[in-house]
Amino acid sequence: MLGGFFTAQANDFPEETTECIWKNTAYEYFCDTCGCGGNGGSMGFGTGLNNNFVGLRYIGQKYRSRDGIFDNSPWINENFNTVQAWGKFPIGNRFLVNALLPYHSHNRTFADNTEQTINGIGDATVLAYYNVLRQTPDSVISIKPQHALQIGGGVKMPTGSFDAANIEGSVNPSFQLGTGSWDYILAANYGITHRNWGLSALLNYTIKTENSKNYLFGNQWNVALNTYKTYYLSPSVSLTPQIGLGGEIFEKNQEFSLTVPDTGGEVYFARFGVEANYNRYALGISSMLPISQNLNKGKVEVKNRVSLYLNINI
Amino acid sequence: MKSIYKIFTVTLILSVFASCSSDDDDGSTELMGENSVTLEFDNSVGSDDLLLATSSYTNSQNETLTITRLNYIVSNFSLTNDAGEVFTYDKDDSYFVTSEETGSTEVVLENIPAGTYVSVTFGIGVDQEKYLQGAEGQGDFLTVAEETNMMWSWQAGYKFLNFEGTFTSETVTEATDFKVHMGSHGSSLDNYKEVTLSLGTDALVSDEMSPIIHLVADANAILDGENKLSLTEQSVIMVSEEKSPKVALNTASMFSVDHVHNGSEHSH
Repeated sequence: MLGGFFTAQANDFPEETTECIWKNTAYEYFCDTCGCGGNGGSMGFGTGLNNNFVGLRYIGQKYRSRDGIFDNSPWINENFNTVQAWGKFPIGNRFLVNALLPYHSHNRTFADNTEQTINGIGDATVLAYYNVLRQTPDSVISIKPQHALQIGGGVKMPTGSFDAANIEGSVNPSFQLGTGSWDYILAANYGITHRNWGLSALLNYTIKTENSKNYLFGNQWNVALNTYKTYYLSPSVSLTPQIGLGGEIFEKNQEFSLTVPDTGGEVYFARFGVEANYNRYALGISSMLPISQNLNKGKVEVKNRVSLYLNINI
Repeated sequence: MKSIYKIFTVTLILSVFASCSSDDDDGSTELMGENSVTLEFDNSVGSDDLLLATSSYTNSQNETLTITRLNYIVSNFSLTNDAGEVFTYDKDDSYFVTSEETGSTEVVLENIPAGTYVSVTFGIGVDQEKYLQGAEGQGDFLTVAEETNMMWSWQAGYKFLNFEGTFTSETVTEATDFKVHMGSHGSSLDNYKEVTLSLGTDALVSDEMSPIIHLVADANAILDGENKLSLTEQSVIMVSEEKSPKVALNTASMFSVDHVHNGSEHSH
């Protein structure tokens, strides 16, 4: 009952009332780890607006960043790997809570072939949402477009370690397990579905605070727009391909309350993905490719992000 | 299931409260004590890193240079804080040679009093006052200068700048050596210059904080700065009444501050 804020509608299998077509649409671009210039750590809370789940997700991100201040300074390749446990749980009829805890393993190789690896727990995030629009009762199967609007907020806790040595100078300051700070998130999601089609939009803003090393990562906007269609292959199997756009905008970092040069910037992505559903299981894969970017005055470049997840609806 | 939700709610509320107490300190703590200030002189050619001998570049006079040596003397450091007060580093300890070939491009100023510093002033070369103290008045610096090819002879004085390499141009098609050695000519011609650079970002000094000021010195400015000096016309510029003052002016304008690292953890 709690799992079905929305009813599946206008599809071939209307009896699947708890299996909703709002898959993998919201929070996709929410960037929880560092957000300090492109470290989009989690790619967010992925699965749909209304199925409750626990799951595991792998996220791989590739960056390159300039090791030096000059135009001919060498580029360094950075690989960010994250496995996160995540879930979504309803509280009553109108509230829901998202939680995630990442584990990171990041590595990079400098021009002199020395390698640096950091491993460990990242920053845990808890977000609570309120459903602004009243939900259609489960029993009603509507053929009209359905809207959903959620607003919420949350915290990102400094459970990941922050190493001041890694922020120095010219290499990507986001090479961290966490921001080392308590950060606050304001979020809004909007979704509309009609028949097997869906469109979702999200906007969130992360307010960061100064950490114990007097470093303050810049506040961050995330925006995303996704569209998707669900194909039912059998009563228990469905496929939901999706395509979308996302953006991340970072304000400049500060250290000891002084602006850090060559920080901040923005990146815009195209996103492609597909989620396969079988009974209570959801298996998803998605990829984000940058369309345009200017991070850290061009000194950090996102190459791509991929994500793979397995969720179990509860 | 209900109890799970309760736990989540409680966790959420607790975390919000716990976080409220941690963001109160705004970092405006008073700076106390003293510490070192490091100036890193990072040599470039335009916006590219200077790579000795391995790369060449063409300047606005259509001369293509391969630089093999860039040494210069920096001296008489002083730092100005946000209240306009000037801290002058002890003159006897205030002479340094930076050398791209040996990689010693850092100047460490010790025991700088705590403060918020906004600009740095230093000289290029050795001032007449110091030179006129005679050979004994130079202390260890005389040895340092001799070991780094920064002396002609005691009578002729210090080379403030030792800039060498090879070049080609439209008319000089074979790679030809160039040497630009600039200094004061004994006490007859004073080429010592001082520059003051705004730091852009404040440099914070305290018992816990030892900033690094990362400067860039654009070697292209030496011949191709405000004054244009053609190597085709003269490839060895040493004691030249006419050209060395121009080199001195160009050299004084080659410095800029790229950024400042604040804090105490400097690893990279």
